Amino acid sequence: MNGHEHERAADLISRRDVEGISDTDVHWLESHLASCEDCASYELAMGSAQQAMRSFTVMASASLVESTRARVHARAAQLRESESRRYLIAISFAMGVVVSTLSAWVWWRVGGWMVERFSLPSAIVGPGLVLSWLLPVIFLGVVLVAFPESNFEGSLMHLVMKARQRGIQ
Amino acid sequence: MVAAAFSALATMETEEAQIATGLRRRDPEVLDALIEQYQHRLLRYLIHLTGDRATAEDLFQETWIRVLEKGHQYDGKSKFATWLMTIAHNVAIDHLRKRRPVSLDEMRDSEDAAPFEPVAADPSPFEQVSALEDRTRIHAALEQIPTIFREVLVLRFQEQMKLEEIAKLINIPLATVKTRLYRGVQALRPTLQGGSK
Repeated sequence: MNGHEHERAADLISRRDVEGISDTDVHWLESHLASCEDCASYELAMGSAQQAMRSFTVMASASLVESTRARVHARAAQLRESESRRYLIAISFAMGVVVSTLSAWVWWRVGGWMVERFSLPSAIVGPGLVLSWLLPVIFLGVVLVAFPESNFEGSLMHLVMKARQRGIQ
Repeated sequence: MVAAAFSALATMETEEAQIATGLRRRDPEVLDALIEQYQHRLLRYLIHLTGDRATAEDLFQETWIRVLEKGHQYDGKSKFATWLMTIAHNVAIDHLRKRRPVSLDEMRDSEDAAPFEPVAADPSPFEQVSALEDRTRIHAALEQIPTIFREVLVLRFQEQMKLEEIAKLINIPLATVKTRLYRGVQALRPTLQGGSK
């Protein structure tokens, strides 16, 4: 009898109850256990351990379950709120970009007129134009990050956000 | 027989898929039902893993919060119980790493761990006491063996998980699972033999 056979026996003993083993393996294992005291002893120990451990039971208390549910619900609400907020910021940013792009031509003309009319240096007018162009996006970003959701109660964006929340649920 | 097996498989797939959908939507009703269904199993696993009921209860709550947060990662193709235990395993490891930088093997059980409750009353008081003594003795022996072995024993004998599932859950090779199972049983052997004398 070699080490490989003991290893195979231990593997089959381990697998027999949960995964199940083939009839061939059952016959081989039985004949091996009949002639190998060590493996037979291991099989006995495995059975006893299994039986002993199955006799343990642990009950979760009702208060633990209730408090867990309360925590999970609170966290779920928090996650939904932050997700909606991210959505709101994304929409606002997109709107800001659209407004900025559409108004770029106007600002460009206004800049040109100011250079001609007041003889301003382009070193001032250039950055001023870029700032004006980005102003709607910057303004929306600052407002959304700085103020909590309740400040938008009743606004169009708030309605959009709530509609999306209802869609998710 | 094949049709019955296929039907059972299809039912399981549907159930797991429903759970996955519910978790993606963070549906409170699905989460409530899952907490209800897996409460005892999860707590038992965590108690065995940490050796302390109070810690296990904290980790129990933390596990469900993690399930909520990572719910979108559950694809419904594997058993939910296995996925849940994987989350619990990771939560426990994170907790132990935060508490002190040691491995699971070095974790010792606290003395105030609540005892396991007996399953059901035996017919005679003598048998009740005897059974309780056996359980207490085996529980004490379990507490003495390294956590890495205890965890495999719990997943195998209490959760009835396949060796491959355990390997996936703990993220170790299958051969290591077999070794841990073998060594865990061997570690319990003196206690088990002592009880049978």
